[in-house]
Amino acid sequence: MTRTLTLLGYAVVAAAAIGLEVAARRGMCATFGQALSAAVHRRPVRLLLIAGWLWLGWHVFVRVDWQ
Amino acid sequence: MHDHERVGDGSVDHGAATTGAASGRRGLGRALGWAAVCGYAWWAVGLAPFSSAASLAVVLAGGTAAVLGSRARRPAASPADRRRTAPWLVLVAAGAAVQLAAYLQHPRDDHPTLSSLTNALLDSHVARAAAFVAWLVAAAELARR
Repeated sequence: MTRTLTLLGYAVVAAAAIGLEVAARRGMCATFGQALSAAVHRRPVRLLLIAGWLWLGWHVFVRVDWQ
Repeated sequence: MHDHERVGDGSVDHGAATTGAASGRRGLGRALGWAAVCGYAWWAVGLAPFSSAASLAVVLAGGTAAVLGSRARRPAASPADRRRTAPWLVLVAAGAAVQLAAYLQHPRDDHPTLSSLTNALLDSHVARAAAFVAWLVAAAELARR
């Protein structure tokens, strides 16, 4: 049950992201790309996001035992 | 057909051929570049997990993609105002809360994190290599903004 709840949480967030992007294309809010551009407009945020992305790649592709 | 018409036709054909050859070379260069990236991804995700070689291969590739992306930065547009971007901030916070709640609880099977779900998805070498290429492209795209 708890696994289902957690997966449901992720699914709701993913569905909301799709809904938000659709609403954004109709001019109701910023698209994901516009929001990202607004966030990286500030240099520290930009550097932090790039560093976070590099860490994520390291976490996913290195810190995993595929066997 | 008059002589001048023949000359004119010939120069146009020559120009078109030159443009076509340059475009062909660019296309070939791009295809070779993508082949090299895919080959590198295939090799990098096959390295031993937790090894220094794997760390170096991933961090170097990601860093290079970020540097290449930042060299081709888009001209800065005026950023969207906060009211229009706020829903995304709320959504990111909600996603982070779900992830954090799962991370802090055990066992992992009952409380899967995004990385534990990703591990299951990236079970095959092909899927890992494809995900690695996508990660590199996203790193370059993020740095371009």
